[in-house]
Amino acid sequence: MEYVLVVIGCLICSVFAIRARRLLISALWLAGASALVALLLYMLGAPEIAVIELSVGAGLVTVLFVFAINIAGEETFTGPNPISKPLAWILVGIAIVLLGVLVLGPQVSASLSGPLPGFAEVIWKDRVLDVFLQVVLIFAGVLGVLGLLSEAKNPSKEGRDEH
Amino acid sequence: MSINIVTCVIILVLGLLAIGFYALLISRNLIKVVVALQILIKGAMVALVLAGNISGKVNEGQSLALTVIVADTIVAVIGLSLAVQVRRNFGTLDLKALTTLRR
Amino acid sequence: MVGSLILLAIGLPWLGALVVLLFGDKAERWQHGLAIFFAVLSGLAGLGLLTQASSSLAFSIPVGGVFGDFTFVADGLGVFLAAIATVIGSLAVIFSADYMKGEGQLGRYYAFVLFFIGAMAGLVLTSNLLLMFIFWEITALCSYALISFHNDDPKAVAGGIKALIITQLGGIGLLAGALLLYSFQKSYDISTFLANPGVLPGNILGVMAFGCLVAAAAKSAQFPFQTWLPDAMEAPTPISALIHAATMVNAGVYLLARFYPAFKDVPGWTTAVVLDGMITALLAAFMALVATDLKRVLAYSTVSQLGYMVYAVGAGGIYASQFHLFSHSVFKALLFLGAGAVIHAVGTRDMRLMGGLGKQMPLVRTVFVIGALALAGIPILNGFWSKELILESGLAFGEANGMVWAYAFMVLGAGLTALYTIRCVWMVFYGEARSHLNGHDAGPAMRVALLPLAFGTLTTWLLAGPFSQLLATVSSYQKLGLETNSTRTILEEVVTAPATLVVLVVILLGILAWIYRSRLAGLVNVLRPFISAASNGFGFETINRAIVWTTETTAENLRATQTGLLSWNVAGIVLCLAIVLAVVVMGGR
Repeated sequence: MEYVLVVIGCLICSVFAIRARRLLISALWLAGASALVALLLYMLGAPEIAVIELSVGAGLVTVLFVFAINIAGEETFTGPNPISKPLAWILVGIAIVLLGVLVLGPQVSASLSGPLPGFAEVIWKDRVLDVFLQVVLIFAGVLGVLGLLSEAKNPSKEGRDEH
Repeated sequence: MSINIVTCVIILVLGLLAIGFYALLISRNLIKVVVALQILIKGAMVALVLAGNISGKVNEGQSLALTVIVADTIVAVIGLSLAVQVRRNFGTLDLKALTTLRR
Repeated sequence: MVGSLILLAIGLPWLGALVVLLFGDKAERWQHGLAIFFAVLSGLAGLGLLTQASSSLAFSIPVGGVFGDFTFVADGLGVFLAAIATVIGSLAVIFSADYMKGEGQLGRYYAFVLFFIGAMAGLVLTSNLLLMFIFWEITALCSYALISFHNDDPKAVAGGIKALIITQLGGIGLLAGALLLYSFQKSYDISTFLANPGVLPGNILGVMAFGCLVAAAAKSAQFPFQTWLPDAMEAPTPISALIHAATMVNAGVYLLARFYPAFKDVPGWTTAVVLDGMITALLAAFMALVATDLKRVLAYSTVSQLGYMVYAVGAGGIYASQFHLFSHSVFKALLFLGAGAVIHAVGTRDMRLMGGLGKQMPLVRTVFVIGALALAGIPILNGFWSKELILESGLAFGEANGMVWAYAFMVLGAGLTALYTIRCVWMVFYGEARSHLNGHDAGPAMRVALLPLAFGTLTTWLLAGPFSQLLATVSSYQKLGLETNSTRTILEEVVTAPATLVVLVVILLGILAWIYRSRLAGLVNVLRPFISAASNGFGFETINRAIVWTTETTAENLRATQTGLLSWNVAGIVLCLAIVLAVVVMGGR
């Protein structure tokens, strides 16, 4: 029963996240969705990931969003979208229905096991390559942000002078 | 009522995917696009952990989900800094108006 | 040992390409030196491979699932072509040190040349059909990049694009063949296919056979694809020598020879190959006769000689065709490099402006004459022996299948070859100077490249015996009953065959026709409309130009779908996802 509540809550939060007019409200609904997903992950028997998702997804990313929205500012758009809403509904609807047919067809019995010991072992032995990849990713992210944000010191005038 | 939990979670995954794709299709604001990506990736992550749980290999599922979280955070970070720079240089976040590299 | 030699032959040039590129264009002498260093090392690796030929698996890289394993087999057919590619490649690179002195952007040039040499070695050494296709495409890319090297010259760019489009259209045939093979055999391995061609049902085997024929014809500039090679002469001359005479165009002949044991029983295939070779050989010989650009004459002559090789493969003379491929690579590279020395010295390619250059460039004249004698098929030089072997096997095929007229046309072609060769030599090096051109003899790097090739032209026919032993190591040829003979047996066989005398007489007639050309002026006048048709490429030029134009306009029009809008792209992704899911759902039930 709790599962159903969490699932419905999560879906509602994400729907509101994309329907919100102001970007800041959108980011807050996204934080809510992240928190509920973290709860769900905990109930599925993955407590370590749940904690990480809570702190990163609901915490770090939300702070980043608020930061960026403050700098970039809000904006409203007029005019037609490149893809009209009905068309988008149709495309997404077909794809998701087909995916559902594929996945929900064979009914898998739910064997929800509790948390097994050895998460650390799995991470550091079997999937140690993943950890290296994550380190590389983080470095890339840091370098990217540094590169992107350092341009703020040389305003775009310089770029246009090169023509 | 015996509701199959797995079906529930699968419906969540499908729902998140649908919402994420729909938002990607109709968003015009760059930051909304990043939000949509986040929703999409959350759906994928829940699916990974669910698969790990069902097959009994919970920890493999968790490790993969960890990689996904890290990647998705980096995407958010870089996407947002790009958005800030775009706003500074072009004055707008409207995707339709960003046409410098197009023909 | 074999495995490491193969890796060196392919990997050293690729490493050299990267190194030369990274060195930058400011240190020109370093670039020349490094390129020569890597090319010569790979040449040594190629020569080392010659001693190690065997038809067992050399090594394989497991790539998993869909692609099968990337296997490499160093059998006779493969190693001799790899040796040619790397050795002539290194000679062309040495020649470039003088030819390209002072040109800009050498990093790009040497990188592509070295990349090409490695890819060519890989093409002939692999026994995974998909990997062969990948190497095939890499050689096409390098050929395009090098033809258009002077990318501010519109003719060069147009020539490069034309070569790319036409060879790629042929490449589709090869890809189709590879996919067909995979769908029936569940692996891309060529050796298993050749051991058991019956794994493909009859009509599918026919489709694959003709697909490979189309790919080979496009790559080797055979009829009806022959017009890209003369236009590719805009490339710097060492490139013409390497790619368009000695290696890349041989890839088509290699493909046919490799798959001959599997395809020879497909009805109509051997006849189609023989006819294609014959038509090409004659057509190109006529066009060489009327051409006035020195490199175009050599280009048409290359097409014509490749026609001879294709004809021989169709006729079943695999040994003859590969032996001629070997001789041709050597003497044609020699001719092209000699022409390069001439062009570099006098600054023009038009033969009507040359004449009497022999006095100013004695060394180049000597080596060019040696190459020309080999091309014409004069006895003692390597061209003579291999051409006679081809014509013999052609005669045997003709007598067995009632196509002796094809043989007659090929003999006529030999006479035409002699005629246009002596015309070319005369117009450039002898007679009176038609305009005042200052020539200087070849520089030191050019000599280092030219002399080994001239020596080879004089002597490679002595390797006939070991060459036949090399080919016998190819397991698929052992079933064909390819015998190994000693050099002596082969040479005696050629000398004592009556057909040889016929061919020699025709060649002599060709030479005499040039010497007494003033007496034949009346005949030339009668043939004038034919001559103008020949200089226009017999109308094929229009067809090929139409193909290129269609491809380019379609590409331009399709650009409208690439809007750059995120929504469009995501819509495309979701649409494809829906389609794929639909296929999976419907197929799975």
